[in-house]
Order: sequence, then structure tokens, then C-alpha cells
Amino acid sequence: MADETFKVRTEERLKIKIGEAKNLLCRNHGSTPHRDVYCTLSLDQEEIFRTSTIEKTLSPFFGEEFQFEVPRKFRYLSIYLYDRDRHLKQDKVIGKVAIKRQDLASYNNKDHWFTIKAVDADSEVQGKANIDIRFEPVNNRNKLSCQKRLLVRVVECSDLTLKNGSCDPFALVCVLYSNGKRISKRTKVRKKTVCPQFDETFEFDGSVGQDKDKNSSYTVCPENEGEICELHVSFWHDGPSMGDDVFLGEVRIPLQGLQQQNAALRNAWYFLQPRSTKDRPMPSCATPPGTRLSVNSTLGSLRLNVQYTADHVFPSFVYEPLRNLLLQSVQCRSVTSSAVQVLGDIVTNKTEIAQPLVRIFVYHDQIVPIIRALAEKEISSLTDPTTIFRGNTLVSKMMDEAMRLIGLQYLHKTLRPTLDLVFNEKKPCEIDITRIKDTNLAKANLANLKEYVQKIFKAITQSAVHCPALMCQIFHNLRECATSYFPNNREVRYSVISGFIFLRFFAPAILGPRLFDLTTEQIDCQTNRTLTLISKTIQSLGNLVSCRSMQQVCKEEYMECIYKEFFTDQHLQAVRQFLEIISASSNIQTVTVDMPVILKEGAMIKRAQGRKRFGRKNFKQRYFKLTTHDLSYSKTKGREALCQIPLSNILAVEKLTERSFKMKNMFQIVQPERALYVQAANCVEEKEWIDLLTKICHTNSNRLEKYHPCAFINGQWLCCKSPNELAPGCSAVSCPESNLHMALDPERDLQRMHSLIISHISGIERLLTSREYTSVYATGSRLTFHEEIDGAHKTLKQILEVAYQLEQKHRTYQRMLTRETKYGSKSAPIGDDNYLLASRMNLDTALLRRHGPTEGSFSIS
Amino acid sequence: MTRPPNENLPAIKLVVVGDGGVGKSAITIQFFQKMFVTDYDPTIEDSYLQHVEVDGQWCILDVLDTAGQEEFSAMREQYMRKGDGFLLVYSVTDKNSYENIIHFHTQILRVKDRDVYPMLLVANKVDLVHLRKITEEQGRELAHKLGIPYIETSAKDPPLNIDATFHEVVRIIRNQPQAELEKRKKKKLQILNKCVLQ
Repeated sequence: MADETFKVRTEERLKIKIGEAKNLLCRNHGSTPHRDVYCTLSLDQEEIFRTSTIEKTLSPFFGEEFQFEVPRKFRYLSIYLYDRDRHLKQDKVIGKVAIKRQDLASYNNKDHWFTIKAVDADSEVQGKANIDIRFEPVNNRNKLSCQKRLLVRVVECSDLTLKNGSCDPFALVCVLYSNGKRISKRTKVRKKTVCPQFDETFEFDGSVGQDKDKNSSYTVCPENEGEICELHVSFWHDGPSMGDDVFLGEVRIPLQGLQQQNAALRNAWYFLQPRSTKDRPMPSCATPPGTRLSVNSTLGSLRLNVQYTADHVFPSFVYEPLRNLLLQSVQCRSVTSSAVQVLGDIVTNKTEIAQPLVRIFVYHDQIVPIIRALAEKEISSLTDPTTIFRGNTLVSKMMDEAMRLIGLQYLHKTLRPTLDLVFNEKKPCEIDITRIKDTNLAKANLANLKEYVQKIFKAITQSAVHCPALMCQIFHNLRECATSYFPNNREVRYSVISGFIFLRFFAPAILGPRLFDLTTEQIDCQTNRTLTLISKTIQSLGNLVSCRSMQQVCKEEYMECIYKEFFTDQHLQAVRQFLEIISASSNIQTVTVDMPVILKEGAMIKRAQGRKRFGRKNFKQRYFKLTTHDLSYSKTKGREALCQIPLSNILAVEKLTERSFKMKNMFQIVQPERALYVQAANCVEEKEWIDLLTKICHTNSNRLEKYHPCAFINGQWLCCKSPNELAPGCSAVSCPESNLHMALDPERDLQRMHSLIISHISGIERLLTSREYTSVYATGSRLTFHEEIDGAHKTLKQILEVAYQLEQKHRTYQRMLTRETKYGSKSAPIGDDNYLLASRMNLDTALLRRHGPTEGSFSIS
Repeated sequence: MTRPPNENLPAIKLVVVGDGGVGKSAITIQFFQKMFVTDYDPTIEDSYLQHVEVDGQWCILDVLDTAGQEEFSAMREQYMRKGDGFLLVYSVTDKNSYENIIHFHTQILRVKDRDVYPMLLVANKVDLVHLRKITEEQGRELAHKLGIPYIETSAKDPPLNIDATFHEVVRIIRNQPQAELEKRKKKKLQILNKCVLQ
């Protein structure tokens, strides 16, 4: 099929929660047997995240969540556990959990306990090697024989492991003969590189006998004639003295007999592997200090919750039918039988489905009507208005996602100043006397808490004008709907909104600011408790409006003292006013935000911009801050900016090739006069900065079309060799995806929806064939009952049809990929069981063949 | 009524979980303060402490009342680690809350890394007969499936089975075969290691 050659992109996302560890071994030295433990998260060996340190324990609880777009290919996701040691300079590694990328999806969404394994040279193997194997007939004039010679060319490696920050690799080529003889040869050492170019060729005799080979360094058993059995190419880090060489990985290729020899005859890339167990040295001498633990003893276990999605995203037109089907939900006569509601009933994990749905509907400006339709259905079947939207349903989850998507900046603007104060001041706020050692402090603590609550309360209630228009429209609809169903209930017009904005937006954000990007810093125990107390009070204050009686019962006795301060008519009035404004019918147009909002900040290393012509161009760490106005950097966080670049001065944001400065994760911010070269901490950070900067500067009219992928060094551009520093760029700038509407990616979300449908396809089929679906919709009102069931039935069929069509496209694409991927190429090295990014979320062929609308056009090669 | 003894009493940590608006706080407050709260104030995280006598034995009951909204689910595992026993509450008038019980059950077992753990399935709001959507059979069926006991409650005055609920969980915790559990845990660990080593 010719039309299938359209561009397909693969988008991977990983969300991981590091829960807790248990049964860790105690320290066998030092004053305490306990450990101070923290975890690092790595893509292969590049660290991208670190938890806070949990002190004096053997069962640390981390409870930290981290999510990111996967910026590059990786083999393993690894979590390393470290024991912080203040006395020694280096923290000691306790062990690690490594999960193969292909296995990640099988752990999705559920907590799993993983066994912690020892960290040693063999468990740390990474990277790949390019090796060329050939046999050549020997032109031996003396003897007429069909002798042949093995030629092994070690071409290059990529991504080798760093050992203590350095890597000076060499290769050891070893041929094993059937008579037990081994012949080893080694390459020269390449200094300071994880991607060494060797390009050295070695010759080996096809068979060895009695006669001594001059080249063989180790002759073990030269008794009888031996044929070649196996080739081992291992890579080592050149240690400072003999015997200090560190193993980096090896490739084993069987070469026994013609069949194996023919199979191996090629120039190919191989994944490096650890040594087989028998070849490993005894653990006592090979493992780095601190990990000298016998292989059998358990190192404990670690609980993780991972969610990994890899989506092959097609161009927009492919999703047309699915998009239409979903968007039609708004016009459906009864929302119960709409595609959105039907899918919401089938998918049990509401978060999984709400996220893409909200993003799709926001993109198509249909979020307000769809939430109105779903909310109306829920309110209409409600009997008790006091628990309106308190459960976990599709619409409550969609509201949650919508508020996070639309209102995140608003949230930051409102809460950030006070929360920063809480983080910096760290004033104690505990008012529960059973938790305080010195009860005399209770009064001071209460005053602290009161101050914080007062500040946040004021910030929230005065923020109404900044509430995004889209949120206001949704709130307005909710209020109208609730009042029309419960005309005699005066409180419901407020509680229906406070139940979202306070209970599901402000309160969770105060309680877990890291989950809302309100801070990236670690939060200590005491601050956590302070946040809990503030969150509780703010939630209760927001709920004031729905209380029929002013003398609300204090659930916990100790909270009474703080409630007393705030449960006044004045506060009640403020909440009412706030809720009225954010749900007003002709909502006040949001005041154009003139205050800069922080989009991202963090430390990076930048190269001196070279304003002085002859100054040294060195690298320094700076604290960068990107706001809606400019990009600036200062010496450290909170210090005055050393340099401010207005967003309009940013002409392009591109990666910088590694060879420019021999530094990884570098990118450039091109300005009219010069380019700023910056190094991010890791690949995830780099992607986030580049994506964000590109997005925010995309509308700049002076955006460049061409740029230099390398730096200007020693009087010339490394890329195009032009000696003119102002020479126009030599490569086209990368084109961001055409849709930048609120940074949404509708195709990706539609593909996510498709993957969800496919993973629930057997459920949909069962529902269609059995009478079961009648019970699913048994909650519908009596009159329209049959009509709704028929409608839902029809919708289900449509969903299936659309899903099968799309899945055919995926099948075709997969086959094309299989055809085009050369096993042994750099992108698909030999050695891992699964060299294609097989989409495990997709349906197996058998299931698809069973449904035959398109079977004719579908042949299996 | 006997007085609580002065010596160190065993503290038992109970956690009340379930969807939003099913009456977790109503049950808890009815037990501790002997009253029914009519106003609905969604909970973030409340804790209560009391000396309680169950079957002639005194203990300190430390009950954590939790948030039902999924927006707070990030805090869940933290209290799941700490709990000695759990009350899984749903409302008989809310089908969704009934269906979500299984998620709480699985998560508790996963966090605890156990096959069984002291839990009690609590069907609340049984006083609302005309609004009832989940029958007793359905409740018992779920309890059987999860392998935990079942109880029907109403926090509204006059309360039904409120004290019995808390006492029952204490009994379940006391009666769990400690030694056997530990042994099983160890065995499982060994099996796990074997699998990994292979």
C-alpha cells in the first residue's frame, strides 16, 4: 500500500512512583545499623531523578512520583538505592532494580515488589558494538588445503558504561577452539570516550594444531587439532594498573560448523551482554566496595508503580472517524448512549480515559458542552444534593483533568507566593496537642497556622478575576444545572462549585504541591504536616457555603481552635462572592495577565556568551528561569538575574551536536547577536527545556529557518566550516508539530483513546453479544430505557468498527517496520529478544482475523 | 463498666477507606462522638484516638478517616502502610462506590505484600431502603470473593452496627495467625528469589 508511507511518530511516556523498600540489609560497620537511603532513577545509566533521603531506617518510605516524556531510546529503566554516607565522600550503592523497556508495560498501573539486585560490572553492562566477521581462504603454496582464516574487525562501540565518570575502553578479541585452546588479541586503548572508534582487524586460523602460533598469547592445550567454536569480543575499561581493568560488556558469537559461521558472516551491531555466570570473577574481588554481598543473600525489595505508554501516532486524517465519533457525543440525544459515556463505563481506570478525552475536547473547543451533558446526566439521577459530585465518576475525573489542564497557571499564580513562604519559613504549625512534645508551643503554632491559612484564603478568594474563562463557563453550567434540579436547595449552587474548585483543585494542590509542579524541592515531615493542616482548613472553609447550620461540628477536637478563627460571616461572604464570580453567566473577561508566570526553572550549565571578544569562554552553572516574558539566569536561585533574554529575541531553540564541546545534553538558544549554549542536567531535562522554549517562541515573527547544528569554535562553524560567525545557518530548524494550540497534541490523544479501546476490546465484544449490557445501563430513567439501550448498542458497534479500521493501519505499519528493520543494524542490534518496538498494547493477529470486514485487503506475509 | 487499665496498652491502627460521600466520616464520628453529622464536609485526613474494650481486653484505637476523592489517592499508600486493619466502606445507594471496593482491596494487599490482611467490608446507609441499589446478596458475594467478612451499617440515629463494626475489625486483627503469616511471607520471598535467580 503506497499511501501507508506517511509519517508515523512514536511517543513514549513514563510515570513512575517509587513507593518504599523493605528488608534492606543493615550496615555492618559504623555507629548505627540503620541506613540513610535514597533512590535515583536512570534511563540506562543516565540519572534523571532522585528522591529525598529517608534517614535511619531499613524500610524507607519514599512515595515520590515522577513522570516524563521519554526523549531517547533506552534498554533499561533502573532504580538505584544508595546509602548516604557523610563520613566517606561517596555514597554507597545498596543495589538496584532494572526493568527492560519491553517489560515495562506488563507492570502498568499496579504496585509491584521488585527484588533488589547487586550492582556490579556485569549488571551495569550497557551499549552496543559494531563487529565485522569474515572468513577468508588461505593461499598456502606449500600445502593444498582448504584452510580458511577468520577475520574479525572491531569497528566501534556506542554508549559504553562510565566507570567512576571515565571510560578508556579497549577490546579483547578471543577465539575458542574445540580442543580447548583460546587465542586472545587486544586493541589499543581509546582514551576518554564511551563511543570508541577502534577499526582494528584481527586474524585467526580456522583450525589450530600442534604447531605454535606466534600470535597466541595463551596456549592452553595444544595437543590435538581444534576447530573454531566461538568468538568472544569483550570490552574493558583500562585500569591504572594491571588487573584493574573493569569489564564493560561482551559479545559472544557461536561459530561452530558451517551453518553458524554463515549466519554470523556479516558486519553487524550487537548489544553488549554481561558475562555468563561461570566466567565471572569471584564476587569478593570484582565488586566495588560496599556491594560485597554474596549473590544469594537478599538485598531486600522495592515497591514501584510504573505506567509506560508507547503510542505510534499517525497523521491527523487517519483518526477522522474516531474523532467524529467522540465529538458527536456532544450532540447525542441522550449522553448515556454517547461514545464518551459508553467508553467511560467500559474503562475501569477513569484517569486513563479522562486525560486524553479532556485534551481532545479542549482542543476542539467542546469541553464545556461535553461536561455539561455528562454532569446533567449525573445530577438528574441524584437523590441527595449534599453528596453532589462527591464520588469518583467519569465526569468528576474529567473535571479534575480539565481544571489541571486549563487552570494550572492560575493555580500557580494563586498559591505559589504563600506556599513558597511555607517552604522557606518552615514555621511549626502543629496544633494537635497529642503530637506536640512541649504543649506550651501550641499557641505559637496556632498563630503560625492562622497566618498561613489567612494568606492562602485571601489569595484564593481574591483570585476570581484570574480564573480562566473556560473554567468559569464550566462552573456556570454546573451551577445552572444544579439549581434547576434542586430549586429549593439554596446551598447547592455553591456546593456544586466548591466541591470542584476547593475539594478537587486547591486542597489537593496544597496537600501535594509536587504533584502540581508547585515545587520541585523535597518536602520534610513537618512541612508536610503544615500543608495537611492548611489543606484541611481551606477545604472546610470552601465547604462553609453548603452548611445549613453555622455551628458546624468539629470532627477532630483540636481543629476547633483554628476553625473558630475563620468560621465567621465575613469569611463565608468572601467564599460566596468568589464562587459567584467564577460562575457568573456573562463571565468577566479574564484580565490580560501582565504579571509574568514562571513556566520552568532549574540549574543548568551555560557557556560564557563571549561578549568580550578575547575573554575566556568557560562553562558555569547558573539558575535559569523561564517565564511568560523572558528567559533569565542568575548565580543561584533567588538571586538577581545576571542576564535576561526577552522571548522575542529568541530566534530558534535547537539541540547542539555533542562534538561541539564534547558534552552531552547541550542545546542552543539563538539570539540575533549570538547563541547561548546550555547544558541540561540530563536528557529528560533537555527535552523539557527545548520543547517549552520552542513552543513559547514559536509565534515569533523573526524565527529563523536555518541554524548551525554545531558551535562556532576557533574561527569557524564546526558544521559547515564557514569562517564567518554571522553566516546564515546551514541546516533547517526542526519543525515543531503544526498544532500548538495550548500545547495539545490531539493525534496523540486520539491514538491513546484507540489503544484504550483496543485493550478493552474483548469487554466490548462480550457486552455486544450478551445481554449483559442491559445491567450496565440499568440506571437510566425508565421512560427512555429501551431507547438508550439501543443507542448504546449502536454506539458500541460504531466504536468497534472504527477501532478495527484503525488497527488494520497499525498492522500494516508494523509489517512495514518489520520488513524495513534490518536485524543487526545500529537501530536494531542483535542480542535483545525483542528488537522492534513491538506494540504490546495492540491486538494479536488472531483476534483481528476473527472480525472480517476488511479481511480481504489484509494478507499476512 | 470497667476502667481502662493504666499500663501500656496495645495500639491498634485502623484505616477507613472507600469512595467519596459513602459515609466514612459519619461512621467514624458516630463511633467516637455518638452522634450523626448531617452536614457533609468532605474529609482530607482526620484521626481519632480512644481507649476501647473489646471482648474484655483494652486497647488504644487509633482510627484514620480518609479522603474518598481520587484526587487524594497519592496519599493513600502512606496510610495503607501504617494500618493494622481496614474498613472498606461503600454506600448501598451508590453502585460506583461498590464497584470501587475491589481497587482498595487490591492496593492494600499489594502495599502490604500479603495474600490476606485484616479487612472488613462495610455496606453503609442501609437505612435508605427505598434508594438501595446494592442488595445484601451482592454485598455478601463481593465479601466472599475478596475473602473478608461483611457487615451492614447505618450511621444515622439510631445507629446500626457501628460499634460492632469497629469491634469486629479489632477481633480480626487479634485473631490473625501471626506466626503462620510470617512463615508464609518468608516462603514467598524465597520463591521470589528463586524465580529471579533463574
